[in-house]
Amino acid sequence: MFDVIRSESGPLRFVGRLDASQVDKTRAVLDTISESCVIDFAALEYISSAGLGALLATQKRLGDAGHSLTLAHLNKHIREIFRIAGFDIVFPIE
Amino acid sequence: MKQSFARNVSSLEELFGFIERFAEAQTLGEGVRFVVRLAVEELFTNLVRHNTGGGAAIDVSLDRDGGELIIRLADFDVDPVSVDPDRPVDVDLPLAERTPGGLGIHLVKSMVDSLTYEYEHRTFRVTAIKHLEDTHV
Repeated sequence: MFDVIRSESGPLRFVGRLDASQVDKTRAVLDTISESCVIDFAALEYISSAGLGALLATQKRLGDAGHSLTLAHLNKHIREIFRIAGFDIVFPIE
Repeated sequence: MKQSFARNVSSLEELFGFIERFAEAQTLGEGVRFVVRLAVEELFTNLVRHNTGGGAAIDVSLDRDGGELIIRLADFDVDPVSVDPDRPVDVDLPLAERTPGGLGIHLVKSMVDSLTYEYEHRTFRVTAIKHLEDTHV
Protein backbone atom coordinates (compact mmCIF):
# COMPACT_ATOMS: atom_id res chain seq x y z
CA MET A 1 0.00 0.00 0.00
CA PHE A 2 1.26 3.46 -0.87
CA ASP A 3 -0.41 6.83 -0.76
CA VAL A 4 0.40 10.50 -1.10
CA ILE A 5 -1.43 12.85 1.21
CA ARG A 6 -1.72 16.52 0.36
CA SER A 7 -2.84 19.15 2.83
CA GLU A 8 -3.56 22.84 2.33
CA SER A 9 -0.79 24.13 4.54
CA GLY A 10 1.48 21.24 5.54
CA PRO A 11 4.07 19.25 3.59
CA LEU A 12 3.29 16.50 1.10
CA ARG A 13 3.26 13.18 2.97
CA PHE A 14 4.32 9.81 1.56
CA VAL A 15 2.68 6.86 3.32
CA GLY A 16 3.43 3.13 3.12
CA ARG A 17 5.61 1.29 0.65
CA LEU A 18 6.97 3.06 -2.43
CA ASP A 19 7.93 0.20 -4.76
CA ALA A 20 8.15 -0.09 -8.54
CA SER A 21 4.42 -0.79 -8.88
CA GLN A 22 3.65 2.60 -7.31
CA VAL A 23 6.11 4.73 -9.22
CA ASP A 24 3.75 5.96 -11.97
CA LYS A 25 1.34 7.23 -9.33
CA THR A 26 4.25 8.91 -7.54
CA ARG A 27 5.57 10.53 -10.71
CA ALA A 28 2.11 11.92 -11.47
CA VAL A 29 2.12 13.71 -8.11
CA LEU A 30 5.73 14.84 -8.29
CA ASP A 31 5.17 16.26 -11.78
CA THR A 32 2.69 18.75 -10.30
CA ILE A 33 5.37 20.30 -8.04
CA SER A 34 6.80 23.51 -9.49
CA GLU A 35 8.37 25.20 -6.45
CA SER A 36 10.54 24.23 -3.50
CA CYS A 37 8.69 22.03 -1.05
CA VAL A 38 9.08 19.51 1.76
CA ILE A 39 8.02 15.86 1.54
CA ASP A 40 7.38 14.22 4.90
CA PHE A 41 8.63 10.61 4.98
CA ALA A 42 7.55 9.94 8.58
CA ALA A 43 4.95 7.37 7.47
CA LEU A 44 6.99 5.99 4.56
CA GLU A 45 8.11 2.47 5.46
CA TYR A 46 10.06 1.48 2.37
CA ILE A 47 11.50 2.82 -0.87
CA SER A 48 13.35 1.11 -3.71
CA SER A 49 15.38 2.42 -6.65
CA ALA A 50 12.19 3.07 -8.62
CA GLY A 51 11.06 5.63 -6.06
CA LEU A 52 14.56 7.08 -5.83
CA GLY A 53 14.54 7.56 -9.60
CA ALA A 54 11.26 9.49 -9.49
CA LEU A 55 12.60 11.73 -6.71
CA LEU A 56 15.87 12.28 -8.59
CA ALA A 57 14.08 13.32 -11.79
CA THR A 58 11.98 15.81 -9.81
CA GLN A 59 15.01 17.22 -8.01
CA LYS A 60 16.80 17.75 -11.32
CA ARG A 61 13.76 19.47 -12.88
CA LEU A 62 13.26 21.72 -9.87
CA GLY A 63 16.98 22.43 -9.63
CA ASP A 64 17.00 23.74 -13.20
CA ALA A 65 14.43 26.33 -12.07
CA GLY A 66 16.29 27.24 -8.89
CA HIS A 67 14.05 25.18 -6.59
CA SER A 68 14.57 22.09 -4.45
CA LEU A 69 12.83 19.18 -2.76
CA THR A 70 13.58 18.76 0.94
CA LEU A 71 12.89 15.39 2.57
CA ALA A 72 11.93 15.10 6.22
CA HIS A 73 11.69 12.39 8.88
CA LEU A 74 13.30 9.47 7.02
CA ASN A 75 13.34 6.24 9.01
CA LYS A 76 16.77 4.70 9.63
CA HIS A 77 16.43 2.11 6.86
CA ILE A 78 15.46 4.68 4.23
CA ARG A 79 18.18 7.02 5.47
CA GLU A 80 20.68 4.20 4.92
CA ILE A 81 19.35 3.65 1.38
CA PHE A 82 19.86 7.36 0.68
CA ARG A 83 23.41 7.16 2.02
CA ILE A 84 24.30 4.10 -0.09
CA ALA A 85 22.80 5.73 -3.19
CA GLY A 86 24.63 8.98 -2.52
CA PHE A 87 21.27 10.76 -2.42
CA ASP A 88 22.13 12.37 0.89
CA ILE A 89 24.33 14.80 -1.05
CA VAL A 90 21.67 15.77 -3.62
CA PHE A 91 18.67 16.15 -1.28
CA PRO A 92 18.45 18.40 1.77
CA ILE A 93 17.30 16.05 4.57
CA GLU A 94 15.66 17.27 7.76
CA MET B 1 9.66 -21.24 0.64
CA LYS B 2 9.21 -21.08 -3.09
CA GLN B 3 6.59 -19.49 -5.30
CA SER B 4 6.13 -18.47 -8.93
CA PHE B 5 5.13 -14.91 -9.81
CA ALA B 6 3.78 -13.49 -13.05
CA ARG B 7 6.40 -11.54 -15.02
CA ASN B 8 5.03 -8.10 -14.22
CA VAL B 9 5.71 -5.36 -11.67
CA SER B 10 2.07 -5.69 -10.62
CA SER B 11 3.19 -8.97 -8.99
CA LEU B 12 5.04 -6.97 -6.33
CA GLU B 13 2.07 -6.81 -3.94
CA GLU B 14 1.85 -10.62 -3.95
CA LEU B 15 5.64 -10.85 -3.75
CA PHE B 16 5.77 -8.65 -0.65
CA GLY B 17 3.11 -10.85 0.97
CA PHE B 18 5.30 -13.88 0.26
CA ILE B 19 8.29 -12.13 1.85
CA GLU B 20 6.27 -11.19 4.95
CA ARG B 21 5.13 -14.80 5.43
CA PHE B 22 8.75 -15.96 5.26
CA ALA B 23 9.91 -13.16 7.60
CA GLU B 24 7.21 -14.01 10.13
CA ALA B 25 8.05 -17.72 10.03
CA GLN B 26 11.73 -16.92 10.57
CA THR B 27 11.03 -14.11 13.10
CA LEU B 28 13.28 -11.74 11.17
CA GLY B 29 13.88 -8.25 12.51
CA GLU B 30 12.80 -5.14 10.61
CA GLY B 31 16.32 -4.39 9.37
CA VAL B 32 16.69 -7.79 7.71
CA ARG B 33 13.14 -7.64 6.34
CA PHE B 34 13.98 -4.33 4.69
CA VAL B 35 17.03 -5.89 3.03
CA VAL B 36 15.04 -8.91 1.80
CA ARG B 37 12.24 -6.70 0.42
CA LEU B 38 14.72 -4.50 -1.39
CA ALA B 39 16.83 -7.36 -2.77
CA VAL B 40 13.83 -9.32 -4.03
CA GLU B 41 12.12 -6.28 -5.58
CA GLU B 42 15.25 -5.01 -7.34
CA LEU B 43 16.24 -8.43 -8.66
CA PHE B 44 12.68 -9.30 -9.74
CA THR B 45 12.04 -6.00 -11.53
CA ASN B 46 15.42 -6.26 -13.27
CA LEU B 47 14.42 -9.66 -14.66
CA VAL B 48 11.04 -8.29 -15.76
CA ARG B 49 12.59 -5.29 -17.51
CA HIS B 50 15.77 -6.69 -19.02
CA ASN B 51 15.27 -10.37 -19.77
CA THR B 52 13.73 -11.07 -23.13
CA GLY B 53 12.05 -14.16 -24.50
CA GLY B 54 11.15 -15.39 -21.04
CA GLY B 55 8.21 -17.43 -19.88
CA ALA B 56 5.15 -16.24 -18.05
CA ALA B 57 6.51 -16.63 -14.53
CA ILE B 58 9.63 -16.11 -12.43
CA ASP B 59 10.43 -18.42 -9.52
CA VAL B 60 11.41 -16.83 -6.21
CA SER B 61 12.67 -18.85 -3.26
CA LEU B 62 13.63 -17.71 0.23
CA ASP B 63 15.51 -20.05 2.55
CA ARG B 64 17.41 -19.91 5.79
CA ASP B 65 20.50 -22.03 6.32
CA GLY B 66 21.79 -21.44 9.83
CA GLY B 67 23.00 -17.84 9.92
CA GLU B 68 22.39 -17.16 6.24
CA LEU B 69 19.35 -16.03 4.30
CA ILE B 70 19.41 -17.23 0.72
CA ILE B 71 17.37 -15.43 -1.93
CA ARG B 72 17.10 -17.16 -5.30
CA LEU B 73 15.32 -16.08 -8.46
CA ALA B 74 15.08 -18.19 -11.61
CA ASP B 75 13.94 -16.91 -15.00
CA PHE B 76 13.31 -19.68 -17.53
CA ASP B 77 13.68 -19.80 -21.32
CA VAL B 78 15.27 -16.35 -21.56
CA ASP B 79 17.73 -14.95 -24.09
CA PRO B 80 21.30 -14.22 -22.93
CA VAL B 81 21.35 -11.14 -20.71
CA SER B 82 22.57 -7.99 -22.47
CA VAL B 83 22.76 -5.75 -19.39
CA ASP B 84 26.01 -5.81 -17.42
CA PRO B 85 24.91 -6.41 -13.82
CA ASP B 86 28.33 -5.39 -12.54
CA ARG B 87 28.61 -2.00 -14.18
CA PRO B 88 29.83 0.54 -11.65
CA VAL B 89 27.60 3.33 -10.33
CA ASP B 90 29.18 6.62 -9.27
CA VAL B 91 27.16 7.77 -6.26
CA ASP B 92 29.35 10.83 -5.75
CA LEU B 93 28.26 12.66 -8.89
CA PRO B 94 26.60 16.06 -8.55
CA LEU B 95 22.85 16.26 -9.19
CA ALA B 96 23.14 17.47 -12.79
CA GLU B 97 25.15 14.40 -13.79
CA ARG B 98 23.05 11.80 -11.98
CA THR B 99 21.04 9.12 -13.76
CA PRO B 100 19.06 6.43 -11.92
CA GLY B 101 20.28 3.53 -14.10
CA GLY B 102 22.00 0.68 -12.29
CA LEU B 103 21.12 2.03 -8.88
CA GLY B 104 18.97 -0.95 -7.87
CA ILE B 105 21.74 -3.51 -8.25
CA HIS B 106 24.18 -1.14 -6.54
CA LEU B 107 21.82 -1.01 -3.53
CA VAL B 108 21.47 -4.80 -3.45
CA LYS B 109 25.21 -5.39 -3.73
CA SER B 110 25.78 -2.94 -0.88
CA MET B 111 23.26 -4.62 1.42
CA VAL B 112 23.85 -8.33 0.90
CA ASP B 113 27.01 -10.37 1.43
CA SER B 114 27.15 -12.05 -1.95
CA LEU B 115 25.36 -11.72 -5.27
CA THR B 116 25.96 -14.24 -8.04
CA TYR B 117 24.52 -14.82 -11.50
CA GLU B 118 24.34 -17.92 -13.65
CA TYR B 119 23.06 -18.39 -17.20
CA GLU B 120 22.76 -21.94 -18.47
CA HIS B 121 20.36 -23.81 -20.75
CA ARG B 122 18.38 -20.58 -21.32
CA THR B 123 17.77 -20.21 -17.59
CA PHE B 124 19.01 -17.12 -15.74
CA ARG B 125 19.53 -17.60 -12.01
CA VAL B 126 20.49 -14.97 -9.48
CA THR B 127 21.36 -15.76 -5.87
CA ALA B 128 21.81 -13.27 -3.02
CA ILE B 129 23.05 -14.29 0.42
CA LYS B 130 22.65 -12.21 3.57
CA HIS B 131 24.45 -13.04 6.80
CA LEU B 132 22.00 -12.58 9.63
CA GLU B 133 24.56 -11.28 12.11
CA ASP B 134 25.43 -8.47 9.72
CA THR B 135 22.24 -6.41 9.81
CA HIS B 136 23.68 -2.97 9.15
CA VAL B 137 20.29 -1.47 8.28
